[in-house]
Amino acid sequence: MTERFQTVGNPLLEDPKMRVRNASVFYADKQAIFDVDLDIGKNQVISMIGPSGCGKSTFLRCLNRMNDTIDICRVEGQLELDGQDINDRKIDVVELRARVGMVFQKPNPFPKSIYENVAYGARIHGLTDNKVQLDDLVEQCLQRCGLWKEVKDRLHEPATGLSGGQQQRLCIARAIAVNPEVILMDEPCSALDPIATATVEELIHELSQNFTICIVTHSMQQAARVSERTAYFHLGKLIEVNDTSKVFTNPEHQLTEEYITGRIG
Amino acid sequence: MSLAPLALFLISATAVAYFIGYLRAFKIAKPLGGVRNLAALPTYYASMVSLWALIPGLIVLALWVALDGAVIESLVKASLPEEAKYLPADKLGLVLNQVALVAQGLGDISILGLEYQAAVERQMRLTQLSRDALPLLVGSIAIISLLIGLRSVTAAHNARYSVERLFNIALFLCSCIAILTTVGIVFSVMFESWQFFQLVPLSEFLFGTHWSPQIAIRADQAGASGSFGVLPLIVGTLLISAIALLIAVPVGLLSAIYLSEYASARVRNVVKPALEILAGVPTVVYGFFAALTVAPAIREVGDAARAWGAENGVVWLANLNVSSESALAAGMVMGIMIIPFVSSLSDDVINAVPQSLRDGSYGLGATQSETIKKVIFPAALPGIVGGILLAASRAIGETMIVVMAAGLAANLTVNPLEAVTTVTVQIVTLLVGDQEFDSAKTLAAFALGLFLFLITLALNIVALRVVKKYREQYE
Ligand SMILES: Nc1ncnc2c1ncn2[C@@H]1O[C@H](COP(=O)(O)OP(=O)(O)OP(=O)(O)O)[C@@H](O)[C@H]1O
Ligand SMILES: [Mg+2]
Repeated sequence: MTERFQTVGNPLLEDPKMRVRNASVFYADKQAIFDVDLDIGKNQVISMIGPSGCGKSTFLRCLNRMNDTIDICRVEGQLELDGQDINDRKIDVVELRARVGMVFQKPNPFPKSIYENVAYGARIHGLTDNKVQLDDLVEQCLQRCGLWKEVKDRLHEPATGLSGGQQQRLCIARAIAVNPEVILMDEPCSALDPIATATVEELIHELSQNFTICIVTHSMQQAARVSERTAYFHLGKLIEVNDTSKVFTNPEHQLTEEYITGRIG
Repeated sequence: MSLAPLALFLISATAVAYFIGYLRAFKIAKPLGGVRNLAALPTYYASMVSLWALIPGLIVLALWVALDGAVIESLVKASLPEEAKYLPADKLGLVLNQVALVAQGLGDISILGLEYQAAVERQMRLTQLSRDALPLLVGSIAIISLLIGLRSVTAAHNARYSVERLFNIALFLCSCIAILTTVGIVFSVMFESWQFFQLVPLSEFLFGTHWSPQIAIRADQAGASGSFGVLPLIVGTLLISAIALLIAVPVGLLSAIYLSEYASARVRNVVKPALEILAGVPTVVYGFFAALTVAPAIREVGDAARAWGAENGVVWLANLNVSSESALAAGMVMGIMIIPFVSSLSDDVINAVPQSLRDGSYGLGATQSETIKKVIFPAALPGIVGGILLAASRAIGETMIVVMAAGLAANLTVNPLEAVTTVTVQIVTLLVGDQEFDSAKTLAAFALGLFLFLITLALNIVALRVVKKYREQYE
């Protein structure tokens, strides 16, 4: 048996929002995540970085049980939200996903109008009592994602007619409309221009006052700008977790250093 | 000589031509420094040469087969004795037929008379000539065109382009055949219907409430005195189809949703083929199931209900009258028959909805049924509508079940417990047995056919509209 890999840095925290212990993920027989221990702090932004295919998305999807939708995928280990085990078969995944929202790597707007996309979650969870409130909510969410000005005259046109970057912001608006406690963002800025990226980063900053955010990103500048802590994944293992400033100025692990200086990935 | 050896010859010429063309392409490529200096790959040259060997020969063969009989006939006509030349057209045809028969040795010259000997001999000679000349002609044309094809195997000639163009033409011709056949059928039906409307006014046909074509053939009555009101048939058709859809759409759609969204792979692998077997049961089997099992069962339930109603003083139940052939029985069985049309197509389109949309919905905390209702179903709607309309046109066109279970009585009623009849069933009954081709009764079948065609056409147009509207909205 191989020695269990020990993450360097400070993966653990006092009183975390989410606690992950010993998490492993398998696709059929192939292991994609190896024994990850990680705490995610309350109202903090943590970014996950690492080379393509290292398992960032897979790990993120464990946190709201999205891996359930993949038949061959199996998640082991202990995952907690506010001390409650979320990897338990018996918990209500629907409620979990309302509390832990997600923005996917590829924009996936519903084939409905722009308005209906944002209103979708609010309608399902009964967050508003009347049309006026719903209108307000939709406008507010679109404003926060910097999309309102672009779409306010075409709210009832199909969302699939938006550009890729607009669709991605729409998906963020759709996720925050449900008012989740934790937001998982899988490369939310991969299709955005610098201005829209700045808007989304501002939004992340603003949201982190009240929400916990996990963001996967390939841009180290972005990780440095938005997150308090940074986790570096490599081939399914969590190599290093530290304060963002420390990771980018003085990484402890050699692999982290090679990645951030551009020698891997 | 029959056509089979000739066809075999053409096919082998094609194969040989392919081979020669291939070798030739390599041969001219060699001095140039390799295949890459040719305008197209050697296989394209080979295809081009083989098409040259095949197509001209094939065209000549087809033309010959098509025209050969007519040409011989017109030549033979010239050698008929004087008096035969002034016969009316149908008699002349008969005589020519007899000449051909005698020439084949299937009859004796005495049935025509000796003065026809010249014509018979001419017929024999021409047939023999045609038989001998055809292989020679086709063979030499194939070989000549093969050589022409070989000559155009040059480094500069872009064979890929030629092959592509020919392929295009072939595809175009195939689609033409489909369209021309349809147009032909429509026109012939329209022509016969037009004759029908000479006998029966259009307004009577469309708005008449009484259908009893039998009267029209009685010798002592003129053609137009039968009643040809199509309304009872239309109402019957729509009633039965509506009952069928009322059963097939919910059952088919819900089972499709179950199969694609909820069922485990194991269940799915058993249930889906089982459902599709339903589509393979011959309709006549459904027909006697409807007539012998379902219709009597409905009648028994009806009788029991009537008895109960009479006892307990429920007047409308006491007056209930269930006939032994009912629209309900036919409609129910037809509904079962078309379930697979709805379920199989809906299942396919639901499966085609991308997983990312489901993920998006689950990620917002939607339950499975909310996701189905609000995301998957709307996204799959165009395909589902398509499936339903296919099932509907199937129901409207279905004949066998109705003949057996719903009867032939053209009642104008919307009561599903009474016997009704449909357009297709009437077409069948009009044409069964010996008919005169120009009686109103026979022609009525064409008018009904045209009518049915227009209905299904309208249905399809509506379907396309609906689908397009939702496409625009959802894509
Ligand atoms: N549905 C799946 N079935 C099988 N294997 C999968 C599946 N999804 C991911 N994997 C495998 O798991 C590993 C991790 O994939 P993951 O998508 O988590 O990578 P990632 O870090 O998000 O990469 P990227 O930066 O390119 O998005 C990869 O080796 C991938 O091939
Ligand atoms: Mg990813």
